[in-house]
Amino acid sequence: MPGWGLLCRAGARLLAGVPGGPVQAAATGTRGPWRFIVRPVNSSTWWDEHLSNENTQFLKQLTAEEYRAQTASKLCPLKDEPWPLHPWEPGSRRVGLVAIKLGMAPLWTKDGERHAVTLLQVRDCHVLKYTSKEENNGKTALLVVGGKNSSPFHKSESALEIFREAGVPPKQKTTIFKVSDNAIIKPGTPLYAAHFRPGQFVDVTAKTIGKGFQGVMKRWGFKGQPATHGQTKTHRRPGAISNSKVSKVFRGKKMPGKMGNIYRTSFGLKVWRINTKHNIIYVNGSIPGHANCLVKVKDSFLPTRQDCYKNPPFPTFFADGEEELPEDLYDQEVFQFTDSSVTYV
Amino acid sequence: YFSSSALLRANSGEPPKFQPPPKPVIIDKSKVVVERRFLSPEFIPPRGRKDPLKYYIERIDMIRRRKVLNIPEFYVGSILSVTTADPYASDKTSRFVGICIQRGGKGLGATFVLRNVIEGQGVEFCYEIYNPRIQEIKVLKLEKRLDDNLMYLRDALTEYSTFDVNMKPVPYSPNDEIPVNQLKVKMKPKPWSKRWERPYFNIQGIHFELPEEIMEEAQKLSQPWIKFDMLREYNTSELEKKIWNEVNEKLKK
Repeated sequence: MPGWGLLCRAGARLLAGVPGGPVQAAATGTRGPWRFIVRPVNSSTWWDEHLSNENTQFLKQLTAEEYRAQTASKLCPLKDEPWPLHPWEPGSRRVGLVAIKLGMAPLWTKDGERHAVTLLQVRDCHVLKYTSKEENNGKTALLVVGGKNSSPFHKSESALEIFREAGVPPKQKTTIFKVSDNAIIKPGTPLYAAHFRPGQFVDVTAKTIGKGFQGVMKRWGFKGQPATHGQTKTHRRPGAISNSKVSKVFRGKKMPGKMGNIYRTSFGLKVWRINTKHNIIYVNGSIPGHANCLVKVKDSFLPTRQDCYKNPPFPTFFADGEEELPEDLYDQEVFQFTDSSVTYV
Repeated sequence: YFSSSALLRANSGEPPKFQPPPKPVIIDKSKVVVERRFLSPEFIPPRGRKDPLKYYIERIDMIRRRKVLNIPEFYVGSILSVTTADPYASDKTSRFVGICIQRGGKGLGATFVLRNVIEGQGVEFCYEIYNPRIQEIKVLKLEKRLDDNLMYLRDALTEYSTFDVNMKPVPYSPNDEIPVNQLKVKMKPKPWSKRWERPYFNIQGIHFELPEEIMEEAQKLSQPWIKFDMLREYNTSELEKKIWNEVNEKLKK
């Protein structure tokens, strides 16, 4: 960081100049000569530090009841003055979902082929906020969608405002989806796994597993140096980083650093099966992220996979609508365990 | 016979107390039925941070498959015959008979490995229990061995891994205790694929004919503190009971 030298010198001056300065700052938190150097901490207490045990219990129960009531009130979006529903047109983009990665399991097709499949559970997914295209950039509207319910006590007021306006319990993850104008949904509508159908393709974005500070061999796949034949203290180092003609190191040079814990997307994953009772989507292949991590799922943008969107549930699947879906929806090729064993003719 | 009360009367003048003989306890073994509760090991979820809902969903599928195909109770050391659908065979099925040397995996991906020696060549097949291509699993001989993992049969003499492909199934009743075969297997000369004499493998079923120095060297690598390690304990008894009840109820429907 370029300002480090300046900050260090300023800090040294302050240390020398004001005796007892750091001690003062630690006690008060924000006051003292450190307020220009140290990032201010807004509060150094937690939500129930000054509350008695009974009060904390009461607040927890109260919030739990409130959220149950809120989710119950949002179960019938079609009767709650919904926004106008438009039919699907080619070129329209609909919302996605926030899901939880449960784990992986095998899945067999009717030909006897085995595929590995990731289970994604859609738990308490609600639409939170709508930004019209004029407010955004004049081209696309935005819909903010929230995932799994979480406690309100460790969130900032600004974050809680959005949930309060939508009338929905606070969520652990919020994502933004760019949506065409005919696919906008009223904030507060719940979203279910049946929003996707078997046979369609999906892109899944999640934060990869963090590996911490890693060397160049693990992070970038460098070959390193031999273990023997005279190598002095050089077995996993990058070697040369540039040449003498350029006499500089290019920006973006692959070097050791923090690996993982960044958002990555898996494109074009086929949806094999949907469980409407537990809201689980069976998606082909693997997905970035650890088990129980929150994940953003949306329709695939790949041009070769656009044929399957002829009749999607548009703008989303409403549970209180007229459609009654069976508990399990399978793709045509999937072997269902209630069938008899696979035989070849 | 003469009761002792007459003798007692002869000894002292007082009338002795009549002691009735002890009542005989009749155990009718033909009527007493002890149900053997066997829960296949792939139903028990492993220790980890995954949501139990994922294992529940897998169990539903496993039970659906079990209603279509009868997957019998078997252990490592039992002899099984498995028929699978094979698109490249003339009658589209292939049958393999062998001894189960390993049961691995949890949930839908659970597998078992069968070993047999056919025409002098050792053959091992790893079958997935819930693979829809499997058409029949039959237990020809139900028994247990001294170990949970019989991978050492690869380094044992071939006679211990040969089983007749057309052997007749040995009948067993569902209420008897499973016989444990105390067989100690003789090995081929070293080198083996793994050092089976080492205490890490904890093998009871090999008749080691190695010199004592090698056995002592192997015992130096023993880790006797592991059995006291509390972090390695995973008590599945309560989980097993719940899952047993759940699985039984669904299978009966």
